Amino acid sequence: MSAISRIAIGALVLSAAALALPAAAQTKIEFFFPVPVEGKLAREMTRLVKSYNDSQKEVEVTAVYTGGYDDTKLKAQAAAKAGKPPAVVLMSANFNVDLKLSGDIMSLEPLLKGEETTRTEFLADFWPALHANAVVDGELYAVPFHNSTPLLYFNVDHFKEAGLDPSKPPRTWAELVDAAKKLTKRDGDKIERYGFSMPAGYDYLGWLMEALSMSNGGRYFNEEYGGEVYYDQPSMLGAARFVDDLIFKHKVMPQGVVEAGGVSTSFFAGKASMVLLSTGSLSFIRESMKSPYNVAFVPRNVRNAVPIGGASLVMFNGQSEDSKKAGWKFIKWISSTDTLGGWSRFTGYFAPRKSSYETAAMKEFIAKNPDAKVALDQLPYAKPWFATYQTVAVRKALEDEIQAVMNGKKKPDQAVKDAQKKADELMRPYVEQTALKLP
Amino acid sequence: MRLERRLWRALGLALLVAVAFLWATPFLWTLVASFRPEGAGSVNMASLAPDTPQTLDNFRNALESGAFGLYYVNTIIVVLGLLAVQCVTVSLAGYAFARLRFPGRDALFYVFLLQLMLVPPALIVPNLRTVVDLGLYDTLPGVMAPYFASAFGTFLMRQTFLALPRDFEEAAAIDGAPWWAIVWYVLLPMAQPGLVAFAIVSVTAHWNEFLWPLMVINDPAKHTLTIGLAAFTRGAEGGKEWGVLAAGTLLVMAPLAVVFVAFQRRFVDSFVFSGVKG
Repeated sequence: MSAISRIAIGALVLSAAALALPAAAQTKIEFFFPVPVEGKLAREMTRLVKSYNDSQKEVEVTAVYTGGYDDTKLKAQAAAKAGKPPAVVLMSANFNVDLKLSGDIMSLEPLLKGEETTRTEFLADFWPALHANAVVDGELYAVPFHNSTPLLYFNVDHFKEAGLDPSKPPRTWAELVDAAKKLTKRDGDKIERYGFSMPAGYDYLGWLMEALSMSNGGRYFNEEYGGEVYYDQPSMLGAARFVDDLIFKHKVMPQGVVEAGGVSTSFFAGKASMVLLSTGSLSFIRESMKSPYNVAFVPRNVRNAVPIGGASLVMFNGQSEDSKKAGWKFIKWISSTDTLGGWSRFTGYFAPRKSSYETAAMKEFIAKNPDAKVALDQLPYAKPWFATYQTVAVRKALEDEIQAVMNGKKKPDQAVKDAQKKADELMRPYVEQTALKLP
Repeated sequence: MRLERRLWRALGLALLVAVAFLWATPFLWTLVASFRPEGAGSVNMASLAPDTPQTLDNFRNALESGAFGLYYVNTIIVVLGLLAVQCVTVSLAGYAFARLRFPGRDALFYVFLLQLMLVPPALIVPNLRTVVDLGLYDTLPGVMAPYFASAFGTFLMRQTFLALPRDFEEAAAIDGAPWWAIVWYVLLPMAQPGLVAFAIVSVTAHWNEFLWPLMVINDPAKHTLTIGLAAFTRGAEGGKEWGVLAAGTLLVMAPLAVVFVAFQRRFVDSFVFSGVKG
């Protein structure tokens, strides 16, 4: 072999190695995300991920828009079963128990261990109310990303017109009923303006009933164990009766099932004076509401309490070690103090990290938008979001019954009994496993 | 006498107009709402009367929230590519089930029809597995693959072929035409109404399909229209921007509506004048 050809081969090998190096070092992963509020959030998320890709060379993330929360769960689980598990998914925070029990998502503990940190240290900066939905059976499975609680929005002009003080919104159920009666405008039998309204579509209704039953002193579900819900209990019965009374006794709330879009639209149009909606709608309401409004805590009967809502980042089982490392790196970036703060200001969700509120940008934002502060002040009263075995079906068991109450087809006493029965049936396989099939 | 007849006629017309109006209300609302300025949108959001001034902002917002040009191209590729393959498969399968004689033909046909009874969500995981195995995951052919052999289309074509008299084929066979020539030159031209009817059903169904493309496609550059539209409609916790939603819906359904109006006569004709008398 001549010297020239040897040199040529050497050069070829070298250049091939040089070409191969950056390609081998970069890991490509997929990130599934739903858009829970508006279309422009999808654009913002794509922009965020692009800025991450541009900022470093080791990981390239493809942001995949995956529809609503339920679609995202369906797609991620189907992809995992077909052998293409997504690296990172933004998942509705109350699916975590279900996904852990079905073996779809992976424990993040080994990744924490790899960095010589502990779950307690990692979660220290996150609001305490969020911990329960991130931890399943004593291990970290999810990193909170954006969160919400229900909030009472009210029309300031209507308050003044009805002789109510807008600086003193109703704090208790009794005050709420009283205010709603004054705010409701009647024309004979026809109601022109409702004092109060709340969304009653699937998902939203379960969340708000959790808020009401917990404000009534209840617990709604066992946050440590996915096989117990407390539907047939005085706290939930009281909440169901409260809803029943608002509609049929006091006649201050529209009868039947109104979806969230209908509730916010009637609030903008001045057809409803007080509404229960998510803090996640705050930016949207701020932009769309023409007349002055303000926000307040969800009124209590026994104590102040609201459930957490929103989504967290999870990782799926079945991916390669490189993909895991890359996914974790991305999670750490997207759940950093600054990214979470920016996303919170853009969407209206609150940031799960306490430190996000220490930043100058956030302090300035809250000074400018005092309504964002009310959402923050309510946080100490926040409790975990409903999450059980078969979460969606168990939640629907209650929602179907409460919807029947709202339609005037059932009485609250019977409704909570039936909801409990249905939920117990759904959870039976898991309960039997824990109760009877012991090692 | 003539007056009475005219009166009845006018009454019938009025009734038809009323029903047509009722049926068209959602479309009218979508049209009106999509041009409604954002502020006014929430107050009179349910009104059918157009607002002044009109605005194109909603369309701008809708178009900005996704690469709609790309979504159109992808959707058209999926719908037309699928239709092309289906036309071949369903006419050949329909011909086989209608004309060829082989043991177990009818049993096989009924087994084939069974797939119409399955609910699509139950097939998501098995289909996705097959698509991954074929290397079609995250590709447009992957979106089309499960529909290549349409049970409905095969059924429709079989029935259409069965309704054709055998005389034409026999004449062609006597002249020495092979089976494929009989299918191509004799049967298919006469079965055109069946194919057109199938094409309408197939195009509409796959144009509007959401769940399956969402499952197969990850790459944002391969998204179809319905996935782009979902960004407006699937908001759970937020409010609804009715104007943008209406504009987005209009963008998605407009091409189909235009095609339907343009070819309406042709569609109706193909059903009515099939040229074959049974």
